[in-house]
Amino acid sequence: MSKNTVSEQDRKRKKALIVFQVLLYSYLLGLFLFQLHLYSISDW
Amino acid sequence: MTTAIRSKSGFSAYDSHQDTSKQAQWRADKWMIAGTLLMGTGVLGMLGLPLFFYGLHLQMQAAKAGLSVRPLIVTLIGYLVIIDSSLNSLGWAMDLFANHSLINRVLTSGWGAVFDGGYFWHYNELMLGPYAVGGSGAPGEKAWEIALILACFCPRLAAAIGLLQMKRWGQQWLIVTCWMGLIVWIGYNLNMTFYADVRYANITFPVLGWWIYDIFYITPFLSLPYLHTVNREIFSD
Repeated sequence: MSKNTVSEQDRKRKKALIVFQVLLYSYLLGLFLFQLHLYSISDW
Repeated sequence: MTTAIRSKSGFSAYDSHQDTSKQAQWRADKWMIAGTLLMGTGVLGMLGLPLFFYGLHLQMQAAKAGLSVRPLIVTLIGYLVIIDSSLNSLGWAMDLFANHSLINRVLTSGWGAVFDGGYFWHYNELMLGPYAVGGSGAPGEKAWEIALILACFCPRLAAAIGLLQMKRWGQQWLIVTCWMGLIVWIGYNLNMTFYADVRYANITFPVLGWWIYDIFYITPFLSLPYLHTVNREIFSD
Protein backbone atom coordinates (compact mmCIF):
# COMPACT_ATOMS: atom_id res chain seq x y z
CA MET A 1 0.00 0.00 0.00
CA SER A 2 1.52 3.35 -0.96
CA LYS A 3 1.81 6.33 1.36
CA ASN A 4 -0.66 8.29 -0.78
CA THR A 5 -3.35 5.63 -0.42
CA VAL A 6 -3.01 5.78 3.36
CA SER A 7 -3.23 9.56 3.53
CA GLU A 8 -6.21 9.50 1.15
CA GLN A 9 -7.87 6.95 3.42
CA ASP A 10 -7.06 9.11 6.46
CA ARG A 11 -8.45 12.18 4.75
CA LYS A 12 -11.70 10.37 3.92
CA ARG A 13 -11.95 8.99 7.44
CA LYS A 14 -11.46 12.43 8.98
CA LYS A 15 -14.06 13.90 6.63
CA ALA A 16 -16.59 11.18 7.46
CA LEU A 17 -16.03 11.74 11.19
CA ILE A 18 -16.54 15.47 10.83
CA VAL A 19 -19.73 15.00 8.77
CA PHE A 20 -20.98 12.58 11.39
CA GLN A 21 -20.22 15.00 14.21
CA VAL A 22 -21.97 17.84 12.39
CA LEU A 23 -25.05 15.60 12.09
CA LEU A 24 -24.93 14.85 15.83
CA TYR A 25 -24.55 18.54 16.74
CA SER A 26 -27.48 19.39 14.46
CA TYR A 27 -29.55 16.78 16.25
CA LEU A 28 -28.58 18.21 19.64
CA LEU A 29 -29.30 21.73 18.46
CA GLY A 30 -32.72 20.47 17.32
CA LEU A 31 -33.41 19.03 20.78
CA PHE A 32 -32.26 22.26 22.44
CA LEU A 33 -34.51 24.37 20.19
CA PHE A 34 -37.43 22.03 20.82
CA GLN A 35 -36.89 22.38 24.57
CA LEU A 36 -36.85 26.17 24.16
CA HIS A 37 -40.11 25.87 22.22
CA LEU A 38 -41.62 23.83 25.08
CA TYR A 39 -40.36 26.47 27.50
CA SER A 40 -42.03 29.23 25.51
CA ILE A 41 -45.44 27.52 25.54
CA SER A 42 -45.37 26.17 29.10
CA ASP A 43 -45.69 27.98 32.41
CA TRP A 44 -42.27 27.01 33.75
CA MET B 1 24.58 -5.49 23.27
CA THR B 2 23.52 -2.75 25.65
CA THR B 3 27.06 -2.34 26.88
CA ALA B 4 28.27 -1.99 23.30
CA ILE B 5 26.33 1.25 22.73
CA ARG B 6 27.13 2.74 26.12
CA SER B 7 29.82 5.34 26.51
CA LYS B 8 32.61 5.33 29.07
CA SER B 9 30.42 7.02 31.67
CA GLY B 10 28.04 4.05 31.52
CA PHE B 11 25.22 5.81 29.68
CA SER B 12 24.83 6.77 26.07
CA ALA B 13 23.58 10.24 25.15
CA TYR B 14 20.32 8.61 24.10
CA ASP B 15 19.82 6.93 27.49
CA SER B 16 20.59 10.14 29.29
CA HIS B 17 18.13 12.08 27.09
CA GLN B 18 15.43 9.47 27.71
CA ASP B 19 16.08 9.58 31.43
CA THR B 20 15.91 13.38 31.64
CA SER B 21 12.75 13.38 29.50
CA LYS B 22 11.10 10.82 31.76
CA GLN B 23 11.96 12.85 34.86
CA ALA B 24 10.62 16.07 33.29
CA GLN B 25 7.39 14.34 32.26
CA TRP B 26 6.86 12.90 35.73
CA ARG B 27 7.56 16.26 37.35
CA ALA B 28 4.90 17.88 35.15
CA ASP B 29 2.51 14.96 35.62
CA LYS B 30 2.67 15.20 39.41
CA TRP B 31 1.23 18.73 39.23
CA MET B 32 -1.33 17.81 36.61
CA ILE B 33 -2.45 14.70 38.51
CA ALA B 34 -2.89 16.74 41.71
CA GLY B 35 -4.85 19.41 39.80
CA THR B 36 -6.99 16.82 38.05
CA LEU B 37 -7.79 15.00 41.30
CA LEU B 38 -9.00 18.27 42.82
CA MET B 39 -10.96 19.29 39.71
CA GLY B 40 -12.51 15.82 39.50
CA THR B 41 -14.21 16.39 42.85
CA GLY B 42 -16.15 19.33 41.43
CA VAL B 43 -16.24 21.19 44.75
CA LEU B 44 -12.47 21.78 44.82
CA GLY B 45 -12.23 22.51 41.10
CA MET B 46 -11.02 26.09 41.44
CA LEU B 47 -8.08 24.93 43.57
CA GLY B 48 -7.11 22.30 41.02
CA LEU B 49 -7.05 24.52 37.94
CA PRO B 50 -3.86 26.50 38.75
CA LEU B 51 -2.02 23.31 39.76
CA PHE B 52 -2.98 21.74 36.45
CA PHE B 53 -1.86 24.79 34.47
CA TYR B 54 1.48 24.83 36.29
CA GLY B 55 2.06 21.18 35.32
CA LEU B 56 1.07 21.96 31.75
CA HIS B 57 3.52 24.86 31.74
CA LEU B 58 6.29 22.54 32.97
CA GLN B 59 5.55 20.04 30.20
CA MET B 60 5.57 22.76 27.53
CA GLN B 61 8.87 24.07 28.85
CA ALA B 62 10.36 20.57 28.71
CA ALA B 63 9.17 20.18 25.11
CA LYS B 64 10.70 23.55 24.24
CA ALA B 65 14.00 22.42 25.79
CA GLY B 66 14.01 19.53 23.32
CA LEU B 67 13.04 16.72 25.70
CA SER B 68 10.84 13.84 24.51
CA VAL B 69 7.64 14.47 26.39
CA ARG B 70 4.06 13.44 25.61
CA PRO B 71 2.35 15.37 22.77
CA LEU B 72 0.37 18.31 24.17
CA ILE B 73 -2.91 17.23 22.56
CA VAL B 74 -2.65 13.75 24.15
CA THR B 75 -2.03 15.37 27.55
CA LEU B 76 -5.03 17.68 27.19
CA ILE B 77 -7.40 14.94 25.95
CA GLY B 78 -6.22 12.46 28.60
CA TYR B 79 -6.61 14.76 31.60
CA LEU B 80 -9.84 16.28 30.29
CA VAL B 81 -11.40 12.84 29.94
CA ILE B 82 -10.28 11.97 33.48
CA ILE B 83 -11.96 15.11 34.82
CA ASP B 84 -15.13 14.40 32.81
CA SER B 85 -15.29 10.80 34.06
CA SER B 86 -14.56 11.75 37.66
CA LEU B 87 -17.14 14.52 37.79
CA ASN B 88 -19.84 12.28 36.36
CA SER B 89 -18.93 9.18 38.37
CA LEU B 90 -18.50 11.02 41.65
CA GLY B 91 -21.60 13.21 41.30
CA TRP B 92 -23.80 10.32 40.31
CA ALA B 93 -22.29 7.90 42.85
CA MET B 94 -23.17 10.47 45.52
CA ASP B 95 -26.69 10.76 44.18
CA LEU B 96 -26.96 6.95 44.33
CA PHE B 97 -25.27 6.11 47.61
CA ALA B 98 -24.63 9.30 49.58
CA ASN B 99 -27.79 11.18 48.74
CA HIS B 100 -28.50 12.10 52.36
CA SER B 101 -25.02 13.48 53.04
CA LEU B 102 -24.87 17.17 53.86
CA ILE B 103 -22.56 17.99 50.94
CA ASN B 104 -24.94 16.29 48.49
CA ARG B 105 -28.05 17.88 49.91
CA VAL B 106 -26.44 21.30 49.66
CA LEU B 107 -24.54 21.07 46.38
CA THR B 108 -26.49 18.59 44.25
CA SER B 109 -29.93 19.86 45.14
CA GLY B 110 -28.60 23.45 45.06
CA TRP B 111 -27.38 22.80 41.51
CA GLY B 112 -30.78 21.20 40.78
CA ALA B 113 -32.65 24.26 42.00
CA VAL B 114 -30.84 26.33 39.39
CA PHE B 115 -30.41 24.00 36.40
CA ASP B 116 -32.35 20.74 36.71
CA GLY B 117 -35.58 20.20 38.66
CA GLY B 118 -34.96 16.43 38.57
CA TYR B 119 -32.32 17.06 41.24
CA PHE B 120 -34.42 19.46 43.30
CA TRP B 121 -38.16 18.80 43.41
CA HIS B 122 -39.02 15.66 45.41
CA TYR B 123 -35.30 15.06 45.95
CA ASN B 124 -34.59 12.05 48.20
CA GLU B 125 -38.20 10.84 47.97
CA LEU B 126 -37.63 7.98 45.49
CA MET B 127 -38.85 4.57 46.71
CA LEU B 128 -38.45 1.15 45.08
CA GLY B 129 -41.41 -0.74 46.53
CA PRO B 130 -40.78 -0.70 50.27
CA TYR B 131 -37.11 0.30 49.83
CA ALA B 132 -35.93 3.89 50.14
CA VAL B 133 -33.60 4.76 47.26
CA GLY B 134 -33.44 8.54 47.54
CA GLY B 135 -31.54 10.95 45.34
CA SER B 136 -32.98 12.16 42.08
CA GLY B 137 -36.43 10.81 41.33
CA ALA B 138 -36.52 12.02 37.71
CA PRO B 139 -37.86 9.32 35.35
CA GLY B 140 -35.05 7.15 33.99
CA GLU B 141 -32.31 9.00 35.84
CA LYS B 142 -31.23 6.17 38.14
CA ALA B 143 -30.93 3.77 35.18
CA TRP B 144 -28.71 6.26 33.33
CA GLU B 145 -26.59 6.78 36.43
CA ILE B 146 -25.89 3.08 37.00
CA ALA B 147 -25.48 2.20 33.33
CA LEU B 148 -23.12 5.04 32.51
CA ILE B 149 -20.95 4.82 35.63
CA LEU B 150 -20.41 1.10 35.03
CA ALA B 151 -20.26 0.91 31.25
CA CYS B 152 -18.96 4.30 30.20
CA PHE B 153 -17.30 6.56 32.75
CA CYS B 154 -15.18 4.07 34.74
CA PRO B 155 -13.84 2.31 31.59
CA ARG B 156 -13.26 5.75 30.07
CA LEU B 157 -11.29 6.81 33.15
CA ALA B 158 -9.07 3.71 32.87
CA ALA B 159 -8.65 4.29 29.12
CA ALA B 160 -7.57 7.90 29.68
CA ILE B 161 -4.91 6.77 32.16
CA GLY B 162 -3.69 4.27 29.52
CA LEU B 163 -3.66 7.04 26.91
CA LEU B 164 -1.55 9.27 29.16
CA GLN B 165 0.89 6.38 29.55
CA MET B 166 1.01 6.28 25.72
CA LYS B 167 -0.33 2.71 25.62
CA ARG B 168 -2.07 1.36 22.55
CA TRP B 169 -4.91 -0.12 24.62
CA GLY B 170 -5.51 3.32 26.13
CA GLN B 171 -6.00 4.88 22.71
CA GLN B 172 -8.22 2.00 21.53
CA TRP B 173 -10.40 1.95 24.64
CA LEU B 174 -10.70 5.71 24.61
CA ILE B 175 -12.08 5.45 21.07
CA VAL B 176 -14.58 2.80 22.23
CA THR B 177 -15.71 4.75 25.29
CA CYS B 178 -15.80 8.11 23.50
CA TRP B 179 -18.12 6.57 20.91
CA MET B 180 -20.36 5.67 23.85
CA GLY B 181 -20.75 9.43 24.18
CA LEU B 182 -23.03 9.16 21.17
CA ILE B 183 -25.47 6.95 23.08
CA VAL B 184 -25.13 9.16 26.16
CA TRP B 185 -25.90 12.39 24.30
CA ILE B 186 -28.68 11.04 22.11
CA GLY B 187 -30.39 9.01 24.85
CA TYR B 188 -29.93 11.27 27.88
CA ASN B 189 -31.12 14.35 26.02
CA LEU B 190 -34.15 12.57 24.62
CA ASN B 191 -35.01 11.55 28.17
CA MET B 192 -34.58 15.17 29.31
CA THR B 193 -36.83 16.33 26.47
CA PHE B 194 -39.60 13.79 27.07
CA TYR B 195 -39.65 14.67 30.75
CA ALA B 196 -39.00 18.38 30.28
CA ASP B 197 -41.99 19.15 32.52
CA VAL B 198 -40.19 17.37 35.38
CA ARG B 199 -36.68 18.62 34.67
CA TYR B 200 -37.31 22.26 33.89
CA ALA B 201 -40.41 23.21 35.90
CA ASN B 202 -39.99 25.86 38.60
CA ILE B 203 -36.23 26.21 38.58
CA THR B 204 -34.15 29.37 38.31
CA PHE B 205 -32.62 28.91 34.89
CA PRO B 206 -34.63 26.44 32.74
CA VAL B 207 -33.34 24.90 29.46
CA LEU B 208 -30.58 27.42 28.70
CA GLY B 209 -28.92 26.89 32.10
CA TRP B 210 -28.66 23.12 31.72
CA TRP B 211 -27.23 23.41 28.22
CA ILE B 212 -24.65 26.04 29.13
CA TYR B 213 -23.54 24.00 32.13
CA ASP B 214 -23.52 20.58 30.45
CA ILE B 215 -22.42 21.18 26.87
CA PHE B 216 -18.76 20.98 27.93
CA TYR B 217 -19.24 17.29 28.73
CA ILE B 218 -19.38 16.69 24.98
CA THR B 219 -15.63 17.25 24.61
CA PRO B 220 -14.60 13.55 24.84
CA PHE B 221 -16.79 12.98 21.79
CA LEU B 222 -15.07 15.92 20.10
CA SER B 223 -11.70 14.19 20.44
CA LEU B 224 -12.76 11.28 18.21
CA PRO B 225 -11.47 12.68 14.88
CA TYR B 226 -8.02 13.08 16.49
CA LEU B 227 -8.06 9.64 18.13
CA HIS B 228 -9.05 7.99 14.84
CA THR B 229 -6.47 9.75 12.69
CA VAL B 230 -3.44 10.01 15.00
CA ASN B 231 -0.45 7.89 14.04
CA ARG B 232 -1.02 4.75 16.12
CA GLU B 233 2.70 4.00 16.17
CA ILE B 234 3.25 6.69 18.82
CA PHE B 235 1.39 4.43 21.27
CA SER B 236 3.22 1.33 22.50
CA ASP B 237 1.79 -2.21 22.59
